[in-house]
Amino acid sequence: MKHALLSVIFGLLLASGAAVADDMPTFKLLMKDGRFFPEMLEVPANTRFRLEVKNEGPGATEFESLELKKELVLAPGVTRNLVFFPMKPGSYKFFDDFHPETGQGRIVAK
Amino acid sequence: MGNAFFVVWRESLEAFLIAGILYAWLKANDDTGAGRRSLFLGLAAGVGLALLLGWALLGVQDELTGEALEIFQTATLFVAAGLITQMVLWMRRHGRRMKAELHAQLAAAAQRSGHLGVAVVAALAVAREGAETVIFLYGMAQEGDLQGLLIGAVAGLAGAGATAWLAAKSLARLNIGLLLRLSSILLLILASALLIAAIDRLIGAGWLPPLLDPVWDTSMLIDDTTKAGKLVADFSGYRARPALSSLLAWATYWGLVLLAWRRTGHG
Repeated sequence: MKHALLSVIFGLLLASGAAVADDMPTFKLLMKDGRFFPEMLEVPANTRFRLEVKNEGPGATEFESLELKKELVLAPGVTRNLVFFPMKPGSYKFFDDFHPETGQGRIVAK
Repeated sequence: MGNAFFVVWRESLEAFLIAGILYAWLKANDDTGAGRRSLFLGLAAGVGLALLLGWALLGVQDELTGEALEIFQTATLFVAAGLITQMVLWMRRHGRRMKAELHAQLAAAAQRSGHLGVAVVAALAVAREGAETVIFLYGMAQEGDLQGLLIGAVAGLAGAGATAWLAAKSLARLNIGLLLRLSSILLLILASALLIAAIDRLIGAGWLPPLLDPVWDTSMLIDDTTKAGKLVADFSGYRARPALSSLLAWATYWGLVLLAWRRTGHG
């Protein structure tokens, strides 16, 4: 219990300190009809970047990737940003947890 | 409709499993029913909290409040993992003594320290999973197929309830010693999965360095981007490509739990 409280405080402190620089490259990802557009995103490796995820609906979507450690629930019509930390070259899968059959995509870092 | 069923079933399952295992345990050693009452109160409070959280997640699109919610969600993961662990260890202490002590004394002890914990754990479990269900259902409702949605959602909820009920029932069939041990282990595994989810969120948000990412890749064995793999990941904390920090947190967790486990065993 005490640990949990400490981690909350820790998190808050870090959050307040994490000012986001605005010169980051930004990539756009569209979620629509349970699919990703585009399904393959090419990003520079070892570089911080921002992903602007927009859900055009219909229905809610959830951008999720366990290997990228991201989880974002989006109501229809909502746009949110995710900041990715420098990644090694490689292919990283993500999926729409609310439409796992059709919503599969990957980020390729080069 | 099939999708609504699966999503609602999976989102509710974790909450129901925690509730079901707690219920089986309470039934075995709490005659007064007070524990079960606080369990149901907690579940009800969780539904309210889920609606509130879902509404907040829907309404809030601002970056800053989005981040505050993210912190809140991460914090609930830590609190839930901590509370479940603390309760399991508490159970273990009292389960040991149960044979020696009078039942009434145990009930009194449970009253004092256990019931609030039971209620809070139940509420958090429901709220965490429920908030996503709320948003998902809201989105489906926008699509218009209300009948299919309703059938899928109700069936999913009932399915999750039935799954957890079966688990609780087959647990309750066992003798009390075995029930305590088995339900404790299941709850600890769930708690460790919550902890890993929390650590992953911290890494994903950039608040915690991953150290080495990934340490290995077992996605050929169990791929956590598939439906089934995701289910395994949600309930056990399994990751196909874990970061070193997550692994360390996991190892530390189990190390501490084993230590406390042994200590309560001797005491």
